[in-house]
Amino acid sequence: MSSADIPSSTPGRPATGPGSPQDVPPSPGRFAIDPATLPEPIRDELQAPDPAAINTSADELKDGLNRCPKCGATDIRHKPGSDLLICLYCRNEWHGKRVEEEFGLGVGIDQLKGTVIASGARDIAADAATLMSFKCTGCGAEVTINTESAMTARCHWCRHVFGVNEQVANGAVPDAVLPFHIKKDDAVARIRQFVGKRRMFALKAFKQQFIPENVISVYLPYMIVDGNTSVSVAGKAEIETRRYTRGSGKDKTTYYDADVYQVERHVDFTVDDLPLESSTVRGNLDTRANTNNIINTILPFDTKNAVKWNASYLIGVSSEKRDQDVEHLRPRLEDQLLSIARAQVESSMGRYDRGVRCEQERLSVHGTRWVSMYLPVWLYSYHQPGRNGGMLHYIAVNGRTGKPWAACRCSSGSSCWQRSPSAASSKALPSGSWEPPHE
Amino acid sequence: MSEDSGLWLLLAGPAGAAGLYWALYRYYRNTDKSHAVEHETAVEAQPVTGSDHKFDEVKGTRESRISDDNLRAYRKRVKRIRDDTAAR
Repeated sequence: MSSADIPSSTPGRPATGPGSPQDVPPSPGRFAIDPATLPEPIRDELQAPDPAAINTSADELKDGLNRCPKCGATDIRHKPGSDLLICLYCRNEWHGKRVEEEFGLGVGIDQLKGTVIASGARDIAADAATLMSFKCTGCGAEVTINTESAMTARCHWCRHVFGVNEQVANGAVPDAVLPFHIKKDDAVARIRQFVGKRRMFALKAFKQQFIPENVISVYLPYMIVDGNTSVSVAGKAEIETRRYTRGSGKDKTTYYDADVYQVERHVDFTVDDLPLESSTVRGNLDTRANTNNIINTILPFDTKNAVKWNASYLIGVSSEKRDQDVEHLRPRLEDQLLSIARAQVESSMGRYDRGVRCEQERLSVHGTRWVSMYLPVWLYSYHQPGRNGGMLHYIAVNGRTGKPWAACRCSSGSSCWQRSPSAASSKALPSGSWEPPHE
Repeated sequence: MSEDSGLWLLLAGPAGAAGLYWALYRYYRNTDKSHAVEHETAVEAQPVTGSDHKFDEVKGTRESRISDDNLRAYRKRVKRIRDDTAAR
């Protein structure tokens, strides 16, 4: 090896140009290069708002205790049929803060740019634990809550009631919750009425063992999305110009002449509170594998009335954890935005009496805002044995509007109804679920 | 009665039974139901703009409608033109 290949041990002159350690870095929040000189896509990305722009965490509840503002007791419950919280010690009642007003979620949709994510809708940390422990400030005992299915627990020594109010990184705590309005009796009546109309061809075992009183209340996780969007659609359309017949008798045939048009449509629109299932299992609407479409069918909810997250609303109610992040749900959002746009442009195509064949579509999502929310559902579920684990059927009632929908079993074959009613109903319940207090 | 109409009468029974089973299945299982997102979402839209350009004529077709009419099939996706400037 020649000496020319060996790097010189003599230190050269220190680099002093742009990007060197000698260069003065830009102050925090500013860029070294003027964004105005960059191409538009890069400039938009640089100047997009912080993804976690809305902080919805409840700092005042971080110790897990939700105290009555009047007497300080922690035995707080949701008052059935209302959005109120009630103290079981002094009977004081108060209303949770609506997230629409608290965080300004209902305004400025047409000004949305980039992706705005509320703090409860942030990505789920892969290593986040399901179990959360609280140290009781009353007696010092450790109280553990399994966030897979429950959000509250009672201290077994001093009876303080704890709730998971801190926004943990496992997706269990959303930004908002929409309290139940429909009581259990009402939900049972609606289910009984719905199924009553479908009894004639139902299995005999179903009729004997159907017990709507086994309905349970569950909070299901959703992402509520606002969007600022533009969509373009292009295709072919035809207008009939002449219709005539040839032949006679059985050989008579009708013929058509038509003008063919190339049509293009463009629409700018905003959507407000579009709900997307943020649980992988519940979001799978494949009716060959399940009847999750029934849960989807009871949408929409009056999400404008959702209140700031407070675990006291969930006492006695099961809950399912979110396992989908914003990026997972983006394809489904885009699909639904395109569907909405197609419905919007339909009225402008009325003159084409021979129909329209849409061939191309283009979607530009200018901005979105994502809020994680728990929505209330009354569920009656049962499992139909079969290949690949059988099928899970649902009867669901919207916990706010009372809208019921169901998938009843009417086909013949082996039946899960041979088991006891309690076994049939408990088989399909989320683990850890228990009977609700909404009597 | 011709042979054709006799065959039609024989097929009417099985076809009716299949139709009844299909109708009952839909009524009980509701597999075709879902949230009508296109009509039940709060949408504020600007006026629809666009263009219409006649470029051809069809003469003597026996089809009463354009092929693959999908105007009301909102959820049937067609070729997507990607927009690289979409915000992320």
